[in-house]
Amino acid sequence: MTPAGLPESAQVVVIGAGVSGCSIARELTKYTPDIVIIDRESDVADATTKANNAEVHSGIGEKIGTLKAKLNVRGNALYDDFVSGLGVDFRRQGLLIVITPRTLPEEVAARMPRSVHDFVLKQVMPRLIMLNARRKGIPGLRMVSRAEVYRMEPHVTRSAVAGVFDPTYGMVAPYKLTIALAEHSVMNGARVFLNTEVSGVNVKDGRVLGVTTNRGDIRAPIVVNAAGVFADEVADMAGAGGFRIHPRKGASLLFDREETREYVHSSVSEFRVRGKTKAHSKGGGAMPTLEGNLQLGPTAIETDDKFDTSISAEEIQEIFDRFYYLLPDFPRSAMISAFSGIRAPTEEEDFIIGPSEAARGFVNVAGIQSPGLASAPAIVEMVMVFLHDLGVPRQPRSDFDPVRPAPPRFAELSNEERDRLIAGDPRYGHVICRCEQVTEAEVVNAAHGIIPATTMDGVKRRTRTGMGRCQGGFCGYRVAQILAREMGVPVTDMTKDGDGSWVFTTGKKTIAV
Amino acid sequence: MKKTRKPQLAVIGAGPAGLGAALAASGAGLRDVMLIERDFELGGILPQCIHDGFGSIVFKEVMTGPEYAQRFVEEIRRTDVEIMLNTMVLDMGPDMRITAVNDREGIVEIEPESIVLAMGCRERTRHQVMLPGFRPAGVITAGAAQRDINIEGLMPGRKIVILGSGDIGLIMARRFTLEGARVEGVYELMDHPGGITRNVVQCLRDFEIPLHLSHTVSFIHGRKRVEAVTVAEVDADLKPRKETERFVPCDTLCLSVGLIPENELSKHAGIQLDPVTAGPFVDERMETTVDGIFACGNVVNVFDLVDYVTHSAQVAGRGAAEYVLQGRKRQSPVKVVAGRNVKYVVPQFVSDLNRDVDFYFRVEHPERAVTARILADGKPLAGKKHKMVRPPEMLKQTTEALDVSTGEKTRELTVEVIPGGE
Repeated sequence: MTPAGLPESAQVVVIGAGVSGCSIARELTKYTPDIVIIDRESDVADATTKANNAEVHSGIGEKIGTLKAKLNVRGNALYDDFVSGLGVDFRRQGLLIVITPRTLPEEVAARMPRSVHDFVLKQVMPRLIMLNARRKGIPGLRMVSRAEVYRMEPHVTRSAVAGVFDPTYGMVAPYKLTIALAEHSVMNGARVFLNTEVSGVNVKDGRVLGVTTNRGDIRAPIVVNAAGVFADEVADMAGAGGFRIHPRKGASLLFDREETREYVHSSVSEFRVRGKTKAHSKGGGAMPTLEGNLQLGPTAIETDDKFDTSISAEEIQEIFDRFYYLLPDFPRSAMISAFSGIRAPTEEEDFIIGPSEAARGFVNVAGIQSPGLASAPAIVEMVMVFLHDLGVPRQPRSDFDPVRPAPPRFAELSNEERDRLIAGDPRYGHVICRCEQVTEAEVVNAAHGIIPATTMDGVKRRTRTGMGRCQGGFCGYRVAQILAREMGVPVTDMTKDGDGSWVFTTGKKTIAV
Repeated sequence: MKKTRKPQLAVIGAGPAGLGAALAASGAGLRDVMLIERDFELGGILPQCIHDGFGSIVFKEVMTGPEYAQRFVEEIRRTDVEIMLNTMVLDMGPDMRITAVNDREGIVEIEPESIVLAMGCRERTRHQVMLPGFRPAGVITAGAAQRDINIEGLMPGRKIVILGSGDIGLIMARRFTLEGARVEGVYELMDHPGGITRNVVQCLRDFEIPLHLSHTVSFIHGRKRVEAVTVAEVDADLKPRKETERFVPCDTLCLSVGLIPENELSKHAGIQLDPVTAGPFVDERMETTVDGIFACGNVVNVFDLVDYVTHSAQVAGRGAAEYVLQGRKRQSPVKVVAGRNVKYVVPQFVSDLNRDVDFYFRVEHPERAVTARILADGKPLAGKKHKMVRPPEMLKQTTEALDVSTGEKTRELTVEVIPGGE
């Protein structure tokens, strides 16, 4: 449970409760419980992380020599250990990279005789991808013939020429992972303060003294800046900046599980060599989420607004157009949701991770965009070296609890397990979200979790209420009523996602006569 | 180990369709009928439909939704139909095995001799009509808003824009107004209203709420709560015309953009669905493509009147009883074809031409002075003249025992709407 008042001091303050901040905080609690995580939003994982599209890349898409490439490959290798004990699903479903007649830019292909172009696509491109992977140390890639592409993924375009399968690629629900990391941190002594916004970083004589927030000051000799799209502004507060985050939007589309289960088995993306236009996206893909929904995306669109999580009609059309080619029969009408998030790239398009020289004790973890989710374990490893140098004990705690128990998820249990739960708590027999089969007990659990859900979206991220085909049309009022009851507040206090996002009006209902 | 329940009939859903089917089956002689409902009370969506307009065909009087439901609730309490409330069907297999759950018995396994599907429909959401913009609080479907206001006593907003002029959208425009909210306008993509004329008059015109035809919402503004929507006229391809965009401040966008029959269970049971209705293919007894599984009401296709839902339910209930008691095998079905200006027809097949059959159908576009008629292998059987037909208003035509009247074996039936009428 999150305590009400801010503490006067902590050994480490982590700014930002996204996947980076919570990963670092969890690792810190293996050495010291005196950790405070603060975030401006009403829940953990409530900004860039919640709209991340869940891919744990292998590193295949990153430029050799970048920090991103190095940490991505390393992070992917560490992932099974990273998630163990968290009660979070992680699945290495692999990525099928498909080579098509569109793989080379038109202007390049046009200069080749047809036979040369065919040869390049069939023989050269797969080998280039394999070679690229080998140079980065990504294991297990294999070439896939045209026939095998269809055997693996029957819905892929018949124009496919060849493919490469990248088996270490996986998926993890970013918000579930982050909630689990935050809860695991709290179990081991950390404290989380939400709705807490940093307004200043206190530095004196080149040393960090702590942070000032809208809810008071916290003294701390070490401050980790994992503030996502605001990391540049927070770094400037400490005089440790000099870089700029330019927000880049990414939108994805989600489809009804009933219609699209096993539409694709691994993630599938079309390999396209970029022409003269500079693109900062791996191009996105089609992927089955852990729950079995088809997901398409993401896009990459520059914006000047760090809050611009809107999706335009053009963006939706762009995704459709892109995937009509790769997957000509994808069930367009089964789309149930579209979401968009803001990436946090720097001008250099690389991670900025390291201690500040201007403010000793201040550590930047900035510019964390894709593949930030995949890199998280390696970012942690890298940051811990600095944090130990700054004074975090090197001796692991003997009382660290390695297991964060995950609350039961009714939809995933056998009937015997369900019966056992219902016998103990009849609320497990009361299904309130019909599409995702979420029970009242699960909403109650979310409201009383280690990091309690306090909003409709908070419940949604923890239990999947409203994530199905009806998008909360049937369960919205029920979730609001159960959550309000468990929080001991009027239902009219409920918000979708924090201050300002009211769900019901508060005035007395008037009956017209 | 719990005992598996083996009723003669399991009805899934206790809205008007499920109530009607259970009653009809019971009346036709089934002693062991189980009615499964996920909500805490009977009636389905009717209890929240507190406006009038129900029952004019079935009861020959004008009633509200709760009143209409209450007639059936009282009647069913006098039968030996077993009512299971707060019980959610989790799955249904091709072998007719039903897995349900409630908080009293836990998991309940049911192996009925027959099934009537009466799950109704759900509302189309903003993403299914691809509305661009932010994702703030305050975007709500009309049926959900109706539940909030009429059952839960909660107001979802004060300043409302309604997209879609389907019946629920029209009803909610009036409802919001009566509850003190301000409805800025109703915007409809098509060039004609989506709801029936009575509702356009009684819910919009009488309250001076503007209806903007050939319009859509092209962007939703507001990061936390809806702050405004951009509306625009649409071109011939139904795409918004940029130059006509207007910014309309509001705190709520209420959507009435269509209903989808809820057939996830049907798919699990291997029942074939009609891509046009999004409901199961059914024959004249409302039997689906799986023997012994019947369907009725809005799970088959979205009806405009609850009275028709009840009619289809009575046919399905009697059909299930006949199936259980007489074990009647189906004859090779005759296909029913949607002809000129007919979008679809229910039933899509007729197995037994030696009985009266009710055909329900919708036109594709509005048309004046027409005749709707049914042809057997090109020969007209029954017809009816209409002054005006519109897509939202369902047409019904009954044929009498076909093979008896024509005296020969029919191979194909066609329903068509042709010019020439009153």
